Amino acid sequence: MMRLIPVPIVLLAWAPPAPAEPVDYLKEVRPILQERCYACHGALAQKGKLRVDSGADMLAAGVVKPGRPDESELIVRVASSDEATRMPPEGLPLKPEEVAKLRAWVEQGAKVPATDAREPDPRDHWAFRPVVRPAVPPVGAANPVDAFVAVEWQKRGLEPVAPAEKSVLLRRVYLDLIGLPPTPEQTRAFLNDASADAYEKVVEQLLASPQYGERWGRHFLDIWRYSDWWGLGAELRNSQRHIWHWRDWVVENFNADTGYDEMIRQMLAADELYPTDPRKLRATGYLARPYFLFNRTTWLDEVIEHTGKGFLGLTLNCGKCHDHKYDPFKQTDYYAFRAIFEPYQLRTDLVPGEPDVMKNGIPRAFDANPDAPTPFHIRGDERNPDKNRVVTPGLPAFLAPDGLKIVPVSLPVEAYQPLRNPAIAETYRQAVGARLAAAQDRLRGLEAALADRASFLRWLAAPARAALVAAEQEKAALEAALADPAKAPPQFRGTVKTKESNLDTAPDAKPLPAVSTGRRTALAKWMTDVKNPLTARVAVNHVWMRHFGQPLVPTIFEFGRRGQPPSHPELLDWLAAEFMDHGWSLKHLHRVLVTSRVYRLSSSAAGAEANVKRDGENRYLWRMNPVRMEAQVVRDSLLHLAGELDLTRGGPPVPPAQQEASRRRSLYFFNSHNEHNKFLEVFDNANVLECYRRTESIIPQQALALWNSKLAMTAATKINDRLNAEWKDAGDAPFVTAAFEMILGTPPRHDELVACLDALAELRGTLNDLKEPDRTKRARLQVVQALINHNDFVTVR
Amino acid sequence: MTVNRSDRTPACRGTHRRAFLADLGMGFTGLALAAMLHRDGFASSTGPGSWSPPDGKPHFPPKAKSVIWLFMNGGVSHLETFDPKPMLTKYGGKTISETPYKDVQNPEKLKIARVTVLNDANGQQRNKLFPLQVGFRKHGQSGIEVSDWLPHIASCIDDIAVIRSMWTTDDNHGAQTQFHTGRHMLDGEFPTLGAWVHYGLGTLNENLPQFISMGNREYWNLKDGHYLGPAHDAVPIRVDPANPLDYGKPELPVRPEEQRRGFELTARLNRIRAVDYPHDPALEARIRSYELAFRMQKSLPEVLDFSRESEETKKLYGLDRPETRPFGMQLLAARRLVERGVRFIQIQHGAGGAGVWDAHGGLKANHERNCLAVDKPIAGLLKDLKRTGLLKETIVVFATEFGRTPGSQGSDGRDHHIYGFSVWLAGGGIKGGIAHGATDEIGFHAVEHRHYVTDVHATILHQLGLDSRKLEIPGRKRLDIDHGNVIKEII
Repeated sequence: MMRLIPVPIVLLAWAPPAPAEPVDYLKEVRPILQERCYACHGALAQKGKLRVDSGADMLAAGVVKPGRPDESELIVRVASSDEATRMPPEGLPLKPEEVAKLRAWVEQGAKVPATDAREPDPRDHWAFRPVVRPAVPPVGAANPVDAFVAVEWQKRGLEPVAPAEKSVLLRRVYLDLIGLPPTPEQTRAFLNDASADAYEKVVEQLLASPQYGERWGRHFLDIWRYSDWWGLGAELRNSQRHIWHWRDWVVENFNADTGYDEMIRQMLAADELYPTDPRKLRATGYLARPYFLFNRTTWLDEVIEHTGKGFLGLTLNCGKCHDHKYDPFKQTDYYAFRAIFEPYQLRTDLVPGEPDVMKNGIPRAFDANPDAPTPFHIRGDERNPDKNRVVTPGLPAFLAPDGLKIVPVSLPVEAYQPLRNPAIAETYRQAVGARLAAAQDRLRGLEAALADRASFLRWLAAPARAALVAAEQEKAALEAALADPAKAPPQFRGTVKTKESNLDTAPDAKPLPAVSTGRRTALAKWMTDVKNPLTARVAVNHVWMRHFGQPLVPTIFEFGRRGQPPSHPELLDWLAAEFMDHGWSLKHLHRVLVTSRVYRLSSSAAGAEANVKRDGENRYLWRMNPVRMEAQVVRDSLLHLAGELDLTRGGPPVPPAQQEASRRRSLYFFNSHNEHNKFLEVFDNANVLECYRRTESIIPQQALALWNSKLAMTAATKINDRLNAEWKDAGDAPFVTAAFEMILGTPPRHDELVACLDALAELRGTLNDLKEPDRTKRARLQVVQALINHNDFVTVR
Repeated sequence: MTVNRSDRTPACRGTHRRAFLADLGMGFTGLALAAMLHRDGFASSTGPGSWSPPDGKPHFPPKAKSVIWLFMNGGVSHLETFDPKPMLTKYGGKTISETPYKDVQNPEKLKIARVTVLNDANGQQRNKLFPLQVGFRKHGQSGIEVSDWLPHIASCIDDIAVIRSMWTTDDNHGAQTQFHTGRHMLDGEFPTLGAWVHYGLGTLNENLPQFISMGNREYWNLKDGHYLGPAHDAVPIRVDPANPLDYGKPELPVRPEEQRRGFELTARLNRIRAVDYPHDPALEARIRSYELAFRMQKSLPEVLDFSRESEETKKLYGLDRPETRPFGMQLLAARRLVERGVRFIQIQHGAGGAGVWDAHGGLKANHERNCLAVDKPIAGLLKDLKRTGLLKETIVVFATEFGRTPGSQGSDGRDHHIYGFSVWLAGGGIKGGIAHGATDEIGFHAVEHRHYVTDVHATILHQLGLDSRKLEIPGRKRLDIDHGNVIKEII
């Protein structure tokens, strides 16, 4: 306490520190150390054999001397102005106020609470522990989801709100499962069905509908970054032509309820697992999507980043330049992970009947360069590879203690000599035959025309004669290739290799390898092993978020220590176990979730002030979360209500120029980083570079689009036509009621009806130059337009 | 906020509306991001390290309120505009290694380039020096030399701070994005300067979007908000009062009076719903967004209607000549927008290919034509802003993605050049009549007061009273180089 006695003379030049507030180690000191020091001096690493994650460690190492900040190396080093010795070595120095806090803490005796302990071992992090199915709490709930949720309600004094009205629930589950609202007939049928399982029947019907695969396939296409190709002019630089085959594979497999584990295996390694099955090979479009003409490192960085984030909830990308700062993941692990993908390149396999891969073909992955070395970039700088380091494929040891079990795959000969496929051979025969016949016809025609002309004119036929020779040579080359497909030249291989980079000029004459490395299969098997702690947890969280409007783990692509813990840890684990035990069936998961009581709650907070106070963000689900329709759902719903939606499935995307007139579902629109549909963009269409979750912006352009676009105005007109066909001669009130039911899914309340009737009266006044019945119809059109602009049209309640 | 049932009678609507508008200024966009971060688990509203969106107020007293950002697509030759190098003419036709300046190609000095396209036809070293294609003269009291192709801008030089020592790292046109975001295209996508300003500062006019863009943006540079969210994308407009923005007017016939009643009905119905669904911020925000949409639809055509501008003013911007009219229209619109409190107006000049300034061949004809197109309008803008006093609070920026090589490409062009180039700023507290920084004798490397592109951002933010480090958001760590350093010498 000596230093607190004022010494007047010194005071003039030097102000002693004011009697400092006692510093709270847990609140004020530990967070600074955690943020800036633990990565190198904590559980992950102990550089200089030092760790600073507990008071005892700091004292034992002598870097903190209680009461003597100037002799404490911790303080001296963080406060140093010498860049060579200052800690931390990376980034900005600690802020002066942070240094002051640390200093005051040491000065006050470097006190830590009795419970102080080292930070936990990262391997014990909740998401890295195996999934163990927890017991369902015995609270008498029929659906286990409700049991886990109810426990939290009780714990937090939350009272769930009432169930949603039946009509609201029906619209919710329709939009949720198939991305389209129910028609008035469907709503009526549901409201009139008094049977106990009326709702369950609807759920089954929707899950069996082919529109289900389009809806949920599109969700996962967001996560998997689906994009049509883009480049500059005709030069393809990113993704692949005809990648829509992969989109169709996704939709079909969601509809078939293929296990999520099997979908992962096919996307990562169908070329090794099903090397001659073109339908399954479409799945490797997942690996075709990150293609980038100019930079292989960028291409593979994207594969690593999004395989990590999308399937595993791991930010592997943080290890590109340095060891991961939060998870036990080294920079070497990053390059070992890259090595799994290093051998793969792309090719486009012919589809029977189309010899031109510019017109159609299946873009797919294959191991082109089994021996390609993986570089190790010092500090992540590709200009600076470590030439002495050999990188071998592998996985981070903390997640895969047994390593990656790689077994090379001998491919069947049709896989690397697709010309052996009779349908492909026939495709070439037809094309070459047709060209030969055309050349013959042309020459014959010319010769006939020139027959009675002077002989010196015969030279006019020379080019045609040369063309015939070329066609004959082509035929001979094809025959030779068919006789010995191993030596087929690039133009007759049955597949066309994609340029590895812009430096690739000539078509690759090297034969395709007969053996694939098996690396990706090994990865896929490890990812889909039921012992993998991450894959199922991450997947059920994706699915949960799309049903409930918010995820259980808020950091959807970050399940590592930097992420946030789940709101309902046991529920998450129960769902993950349930999912895996049911063959990774997504439809089973949907069924469990949408038939829960919590899914059927109202989304209104009316009368629930106490809940709002306790849990305003509704993290504990005492009500349903209202969700804004995704861009595709807004457009599809407008067309559907207008009776115009074309439910044709699959096939090449609708090109931009035809989209305005197209009535297809929006997921079939050509969409890339360069080509956007204006209407979908306004409603936050998925960013093709990364979209784990759609943005839900509320911007004035959305209002303008729903008021002014031809799409919305036409839909309003058609909806009005349909309504008027039924209610033309009825009064305004039945019309308004029918319009509400059709567009918003619920009848109007009394005051809503009054508002519409008032508006109709005013509108008739405005339109007094028109004659009936046109005047009424025109006035009603504005009511319809107002309803599609209603908050609860674009909102899933 | 909660809504009382009594609010639903038409007589109470007025009160109601004001209540919703009270926090329109910032609330709107900042809250959207807050909600987004919060829901993604990057920000928590309580506890240590808590984060909240900016309140829309500057962090310290600002010198400027608005920015007019003029970006020349394709890469303006610094050597033929603001950075004369007589040595190029002296050694014209010689290779760099034959001149006393051969050290400029020392590989150590070329390291900053980060190659996107290997073996590209463009973005290469050009060894044979290409003489200056235009004369230079000293102008104004400052005596700064400006190219003879830019006589009108030259007449404003005493209001301008030229920075002759810029550098960047992308030797391809992805550098356009880089100039707006500070990041190379291989790094991914990051918010542009305009998005940061929009994010950080509240509105000055509730009838207009605060961030507007005009002109053609190339495909790699289409958006602004990126991780700040689409609410911070610029609203693209056309200088056409009849059709100023996408969906800005009905695409099928409808009478304004009819539509207005429809709008009112939506508003009334939404307010009724707010009773059933209290504590629904999305519903409240949607009601406000419809109000703003309605006002935007009405006010933009008025802003873009030049009929009340005098003939003299129109001439000042070059509206009377076909060469200068298109750009002049955009700049006159920019002044009218700034006058009405729009924060950030981003205008890209020169569509086509990677941008019209991309003079790989025929540089002389190319730059003479392009300089003609922008010179009078830009000078007109500066003079007009000055005489109305707006220049004091408006920063005008003239920028481009990179300069052009001292050596020739083909016989008469210059290639992309990242090691040294020029931009300028004027107004909003920027000192006039200075040439800051310098390149070497042949305009190759920035050698004095070197500035990376984000230094321009830092300077602009500083004048607007913003500290970019305070804007940083959780989960999106920015590097020191992303923030840049304020160019103190010009303020």
